[in-house]
Amino acid sequence: MATLEVKDLHVEIEEEKDQTREILKGVNLTMNTGEIHAIMGPNGTGKSTLSQTIMGNSAYHVTQGDILLNGESILDMPVDERARKGLFLAMQYPAEIQGVTNAEFLRAAINSRRPEDDQISVMAFLKELDKNLELLDMSEEMTERYLNEGFSGGEKKRNEILQLLMIKPSFALLDEIDSGLDIDALQVVSKGVNSMRGDNFGSLIITHYQRLLNYIVPDVVHVMMGGKIVKSGDAELAKKLESEGYAGLRDELGLDVSLVDDNR
Amino acid sequence: MKSAVQDYEAIKASVEAAANEHGEPHWFVDRRLAAIDAMQDLALPQVQRYDYHRWPLMDNMDLSWHRSDKALADSVPAATDQIRFVQVGQTTVAINLPDELDEQGVILTDIFSAFREHPRLTEKYFMDKVTKADENKLTAYHQAFLNAGVFLYVPKGVTIKQPIEAYLIQDSTVKQAMVSHVLIVAEEDSSFSFIQHLNTKGDEQNAASCMVEVLARANSNVHFSSVDELGEHTYSFLHRRANLSRNARFDWAIGVVNDQNTLGDFTSELIGEGAHSESKVIAVTTGKQSNGINNRVVNKGKHTVANISQRGVLLEKSELVFNGIGDIIHGASGANAEQENRVLMMSDQAHGDANPILLIDENDVIAGHAASVGQVDQNQLYYLMSRGIDKEQAQRLVIRGFLGPVLEDIPLPEVRQEMIEVIERKLEDGQHFK
Repeated sequence: MATLEVKDLHVEIEEEKDQTREILKGVNLTMNTGEIHAIMGPNGTGKSTLSQTIMGNSAYHVTQGDILLNGESILDMPVDERARKGLFLAMQYPAEIQGVTNAEFLRAAINSRRPEDDQISVMAFLKELDKNLELLDMSEEMTERYLNEGFSGGEKKRNEILQLLMIKPSFALLDEIDSGLDIDALQVVSKGVNSMRGDNFGSLIITHYQRLLNYIVPDVVHVMMGGKIVKSGDAELAKKLESEGYAGLRDELGLDVSLVDDNR
Repeated sequence: MKSAVQDYEAIKASVEAAANEHGEPHWFVDRRLAAIDAMQDLALPQVQRYDYHRWPLMDNMDLSWHRSDKALADSVPAATDQIRFVQVGQTTVAINLPDELDEQGVILTDIFSAFREHPRLTEKYFMDKVTKADENKLTAYHQAFLNAGVFLYVPKGVTIKQPIEAYLIQDSTVKQAMVSHVLIVAEEDSSFSFIQHLNTKGDEQNAASCMVEVLARANSNVHFSSVDELGEHTYSFLHRRANLSRNARFDWAIGVVNDQNTLGDFTSELIGEGAHSESKVIAVTTGKQSNGINNRVVNKGKHTVANISQRGVLLEKSELVFNGIGDIIHGASGANAEQENRVLMMSDQAHGDANPILLIDENDVIAGHAASVGQVDQNQLYYLMSRGIDKEQAQRLVIRGFLGPVLEDIPLPEVRQEMIEVIERKLEDGQHFK
């Protein structure tokens, strides 16, 4: 069993003119493999910041607290090392790279986890690839296209999940994997994530909407507001939020947090 | 001054003797001697914003003949069913031309055999129609000291499906300049592609003066690729020019991946109405090397289309200057010339420049340019690394992405793959020594 712990995490980002702004204000979270956690929360509350910080995006500066993977701090590790240790982030806006095929990229990612003298064979790679393409209802042609280049929003999301299935991390952070997906694509993506469920896999799902959680049923739901986790519960909490909204929960908890969309 | 003149007289006498010993036709010997005379007054070719006048490009003024060890060509991938020409130093190792092409009148032979056996063609076309010996000091040097090369003639209406490959290997196991000439004549309605590979064997410091001349006659369709991989002890002058007649289509796809300083001068001259040329160049520089590349298109004919696309990557303390020169001559109405010059800096100690230079003397034209000097895309790098790929490999993949738009347009998959591998190797070297 692997464990990911976030302890009293404070994170700031640099804005224009040397101004910094604190986004995360003391996040605490512990998750184990075998568990699916969901993080919900209004816009601008730091959900993506949390996932980017765990992955190691250099734009986010940790000012206090720690992130531990199996008891070891990962704060000083570069992104690629965190990935090889078992973290994966399905991104909201995956980069496009012309000239590098999807298949070549996937092989490089898999091989980066293997010793130089034990790289994956072409046959084994293709077999695994075919299996996962079928699961995600993707055509083989997608793997010969350049990485995310010219992919539709839905294709990009599927491609993120394809990478997840090929790389098989211990923990997957899924950042709004449902945004911009129609119901069919949502089902496919959910099927992909659900196929990973098991004792050796944990996931932190970031979403605005409860809808995704009908397909990927979480074990734990956290609500984030104002840079902190303000409430945790089971899957029922997500449903309650869906009906009552974030403002309802805020008022119930007596929080002094302004919601970005309050004034709309 | 008197002693310099005497030196030239001595050089002429020795060149004349060497050329005669080599059994060269009189017209060619005469041209050598005239070129030596011309060298004395000619200037080096001008490359904007670039200084190379101290390079040892013409140190060797000794014309001599040397038989190279054919084993130096062992690195050429084995193939029996390819059309190819292999030369090491001055020694031709293999010429493989299918009988049916020979019967159709296609000529593929070394340049000196061509002078002897096809004087009518070579006297007319060698450094006369496309490039003149007296253009500058370096072209005159090339004419004077020529010691290797290949001649390809494709007759009217002949289409060759398979690419024609030339492996030109510099023999630097001995002290001798490589002065090598590729002369290609594509007659009307002919169609083919030509792939050139330049390499160096041996560790002597030598210059390379490599020239390519292509005469693309009306309605011909010619694609020229070159993978330039000259060695770390070779200062090179690469002069390549194509001359396009009416409705001819001619493309360059050039990878400049040499390990020492390189001066590149690539030109497409669109003489005939409706001619079309695409000029694609990739360059990678590492260490302390410096590359200056002029990529020039000249629209002379009406309704000619000439596009330039160049991308360069700089590592360590290297320097790379890309000049994209679009020259539209008065009377070339309806001409279209677009160019894009981009360099990617992988090191803050490198020096890169991308200069679009437009010389337009006609109103009724479409011309545009884009240029940039940029850093590596951090977002792409982060994405790749977030999948576990280490920073160096991720950088190489991002670089590939940067080169993608030019690589993508190389029509022959085998050349594209070779280019990718050669570039990858060079990038790894550059990263390794950082």
